[in-house]
Amino acid sequence: MRRIGVFVCHCGINIAQNVDVEALTKYASKLDDVVVSKQYKYMCSDVGATLIKDSIKEHQLDGVVVACCSPRMHEHTFREVVNDGGVNPYRLEIANIREQCSWVHGDRGKSTEKAKFLVRSAVAKAKLLEPLETSTLEVNPDALVIGGGIAGIQASLDLANDGFKVYLVEREPSIGGRMSQLDKTFPTLDCSSCILTPKMMEVGNHPNIDLLTYVEVTGVEGSIGNYTVKVRKKPRYVDVDKCTGCGDCAAACRLKGRISSEFDMGMGKRGAAYMPFPQAVPLKYTIDAEHCLFLTRGKCGDKPACREACVQKAIDFDQKEELVDLKVGAIVVTTGYDLLNPEDLYEYGYAVSPDVITTLELERLISSSGPTKGEILRPSDQQKPKSVTFILCVGSRDETQCTWCCRIGCMSALKHVYLLREKLGDDVEINLCYTDIRSYGKGYEEFYRKVRGLKTNMFRGIPSEVQNMGDHQKIDIFDTTTNKLFEIKTDMVVLVPALVPRSDAADFARLLHLTQSGDGFFLEAHPKLRPMDTFVNGIFIAGCCQGPKDIQDTVSQASGAASRVATILSKKELEIDPLIAAVDEEACTGCGICVDVCPYEARVLNEKAKIAEVNEALCTGCGACIAACPSNASIHKNFTKKQFLNMVDDIL
Amino acid sequence: MSIVDLTSMGKSQTELRKEINGQLSKLQDEISDYCFQCAKCTAGCEAHKLLELEPHKMVALLKRGLIDEMVNSDIIWTCMSCFKCRERCPQRVAPVEILFALKNMAVVSGKQIPGKYTAMLQSILSIGLIQDVQEVTTRDNKTMKRDELGLPSLSKPCDPAKFQVGLTKIAVEKV
Repeated sequence: MRRIGVFVCHCGINIAQNVDVEALTKYASKLDDVVVSKQYKYMCSDVGATLIKDSIKEHQLDGVVVACCSPRMHEHTFREVVNDGGVNPYRLEIANIREQCSWVHGDRGKSTEKAKFLVRSAVAKAKLLEPLETSTLEVNPDALVIGGGIAGIQASLDLANDGFKVYLVEREPSIGGRMSQLDKTFPTLDCSSCILTPKMMEVGNHPNIDLLTYVEVTGVEGSIGNYTVKVRKKPRYVDVDKCTGCGDCAAACRLKGRISSEFDMGMGKRGAAYMPFPQAVPLKYTIDAEHCLFLTRGKCGDKPACREACVQKAIDFDQKEELVDLKVGAIVVTTGYDLLNPEDLYEYGYAVSPDVITTLELERLISSSGPTKGEILRPSDQQKPKSVTFILCVGSRDETQCTWCCRIGCMSALKHVYLLREKLGDDVEINLCYTDIRSYGKGYEEFYRKVRGLKTNMFRGIPSEVQNMGDHQKIDIFDTTTNKLFEIKTDMVVLVPALVPRSDAADFARLLHLTQSGDGFFLEAHPKLRPMDTFVNGIFIAGCCQGPKDIQDTVSQASGAASRVATILSKKELEIDPLIAAVDEEACTGCGICVDVCPYEARVLNEKAKIAEVNEALCTGCGACIAACPSNASIHKNFTKKQFLNMVDDIL
Repeated sequence: MSIVDLTSMGKSQTELRKEINGQLSKLQDEISDYCFQCAKCTAGCEAHKLLELEPHKMVALLKRGLIDEMVNSDIIWTCMSCFKCRERCPQRVAPVEILFALKNMAVVSGKQIPGKYTAMLQSILSIGLIQDVQEVTTRDNKTMKRDELGLPSLSKPCDPAKFQVGLTKIAVEKV
């Protein structure tokens, strides 16, 4: 005979308006083994918690059922309450009568009947719940940050300054990310490099940061507190200890100026021996194995020109890739974004005309360290344009491309208008076609107003197509402010494309067991209350890999993620949730199927005893081994077959 | 390079636009370019309710430099100069001032002025006022005389001939 208490929550009117809580409480009180049944408006409040605790004492309860919202919402809250009341926290069962009942059904009578079934089955399970004890595991105090853009830089610096050792992994030869490609930043027009470079230098010199560039993450194992991350160090073919960054190799490279530069978005050229940009950190050269003549054909003139030119003898064509394991306690993912390829919208003629470019390409033209040294020259004839037309929302807010708003397009285009006006003078015509201008941030609206005063021709509407007329581009646009159809003849068209997840986001998500939202960006655990957490404990996200955002928001989120990591790493030990797999040693035949199916490598075969075991530190309680076990030897604690069958029996 | 209205083949009259914006910035410190087409002016426009004057559209056409189209339209004469648009514009653009500028341009270009305006002009030249207001209707629909409301009687020029000469002189200097 057990002594179970049932507590029914009204959740204001969320539950009460669709479920007769009065009748439900009365019904519960008559169930076998239920010694007390109570109701309250907000069970998760202090008063509700006291009600539960007092009832436990008064009726000597040994099990509790709370009929309320989803366990994802308040299971944790009520476990603590029950524990405070003196009952083992794992002898709590939640009957979800909100998300799975009152919110989704219309008929009050039927909803109440369903709620009764839910409570009845929860009581049936509560009768068989075992008391469980949490165990602890030691925490590795080091952190890993994946991605060296502004988000990764900020998170690394915050953690390093907190005293933690940080591995910062970047797959490109230099950190800096998208921000290093920008000339100025909106709305303050701060020079992007001027505010970014000091931070990059700080990362490069920080005693607590181990900077790993030209390195890719290939696998992640373990769980919160103890991750093992496999990384692949790509060969740079340059000994970074010897390289001084003098540039003699790049100057000597036979392919100099013949390879399209990724950093310049294809607007400029580089050689096979290159440094992506002058402020690169680390200030080391890299040899591009995909193009280098010596590496692809085995021959580069008589001798490789770069190797001959290097005084430091830093060029080393014998370098091989290295696989390294990093042991860390928590991970921050800051892998950034890609721009939508405007070729997906053929009507804008991006593939047809060199004079139709993207914002990021214009950014490289405006940049003083860019291929034109900051001069605005139109790509087809290298002449100054007399008219530039911007088209916003290219692929954004578009049900056939990207349904979301890119959040930075409006402001980046306005910034470009300002910079072009500054560089090209008052006589150049600047047109801007927009649907709405979204200038929501601090100082943004004021900046928008400033740009409106710069003789900007604002057209509210989106052109249907851009026609390449050879020496100019022709655009028909219907302007809804005047209700008129205009024809614009312009020298250069700048497209503002949507922000999209990295092309390899899905593969990367699989590697780390992250979830993606419908748009493909990494999904946060809760959009409002856990915006940096993922569904994998100990892995956090920040910056544009979570969704489009500007630098301000990216930096804030990165600092937030760093602080979430510090919360974990500052503890010596972590409690492990005991709701994980266990083995019925008598039933186990040692077949090893569970070892194969476990995605977390938490199942191991004990060769001596011929049974499978569970590594409690690694097991997440996903249930894969329980489903796979042919001999019913894999058990999920407090989710046993016996408990479930009892629930079913009771309501049938 | 160029922007053309494909319906009328009208092109932007950049110089005129500059001139009107120049006048506006003197009167209101702001130019039409700042207008973001919220249409608050039209929503409150007294003339719109009776005559479909759309001040926000006037500003949009000015921004685009399509000025002839407006000068040639009778709609500019329907503004009753209540100045509500000027008072309430969130971007401190004053559509009413644009209409004054357009009216002046219409006069200069020899366009026919509506008869009511000539009568008003006559009234100004003789008494200094568009209307000799002696009575008002209150919200309770009662007719009240000036003295009943405690208002002084309207002052009139003591020397109408001298007043007319002075006024004409100012008008000539301003236009």
